[in-house]
Amino acid sequence: MAETPATEERLDHLQHHFVDSEQQFESSKMGMWIFLVTEILFFGGLFAAYIVYRAWYPELYLEASQELDTFWGTVNTAVLIGSSLTVAMAIRSAQLNQIRGIIINLYITIGLACTFMVIKYFEYAEKFEKGILPGRYYSYDGLEHEKANIFFSIYYMMTGLHGLHVVIGIGLMIWLVVKAKKKIFHSGYYTPVEITGLYWHLVDVIWIFLFPLLYLID
Amino acid sequence: MSGHHISSAKFLWGVGISLFFLTFVTVAVTWIEIPEPWNIVVAIAIAVVKALIVVAFFMNLWWDTKFNTLLFIMSIVFFLLLIGITLLDTLYRVDPIPSF
Repeated sequence: MAETPATEERLDHLQHHFVDSEQQFESSKMGMWIFLVTEILFFGGLFAAYIVYRAWYPELYLEASQELDTFWGTVNTAVLIGSSLTVAMAIRSAQLNQIRGIIINLYITIGLACTFMVIKYFEYAEKFEKGILPGRYYSYDGLEHEKANIFFSIYYMMTGLHGLHVVIGIGLMIWLVVKAKKKIFHSGYYTPVEITGLYWHLVDVIWIFLFPLLYLID
Repeated sequence: MSGHHISSAKFLWGVGISLFFLTFVTVAVTWIEIPEPWNIVVAIAIAVVKALIVVAFFMNLWWDTKFNTLLFIMSIVFFLLLIGITLLDTLYRVDPIPSF
């Protein structure tokens, strides 16, 4: 890539074992993609469980899914897509050297992520109250299927693990805001923003599949 | 670092709006009850399109090095392998359903 000496180049981020910023950035990003591969396969195990049990008990899924509120599922999908958009905008701000833009977009993203978790909390609380708990703690008798607890075990594992990722994402973005306020990021170095963005988009992609598979099958 | 792709704000909003629209479509198709196997096919197809839009244009694989795309594709291949081999067992069991 052609050097642009016009703006005074900050190189305080460059680690000695990399040739230049570009190589450092590309290495980090490739490392993140390898991590995302392990994440896809991590969730893949749960999707496999979902598919195996759905093949065994198709009628259970249709019946049990009616306990999930499609309206709040849709709202949460929109919230997560909105947060993906603001993360992409935060990365764009970083590329353009707009530090305020990074911070504002990250604040909106954190706000949306918290909204997601609050909605999820109310969804869980409503089910816990009815006795819809995973595995042998299941005590709800509103569903006729004798294996109803299996659907909810899968539901809690998938959405719970996804929720954990959202919480970790919130933590990462708070860390990014702190770093951005210290003026660590600029157009020549924004790797942590880019990489957290990749993670956040993957969390969004997983929800894109969870939503129709869990909420929209009645 | 002039080699990084910078998406315009307009473009990113366009991607976001298309994702909102497809979310609406997935919900809307459940209102017109599509017969049994096809409702799942439609729901998964829309989810795949949405996921590909996110991966290509939010995660920037469209402009990224081909190696990162290869990594992503390999994860999907191994995921399908996991499901395929598992189903070869669970779908064809003589006594299919375990006690749990």
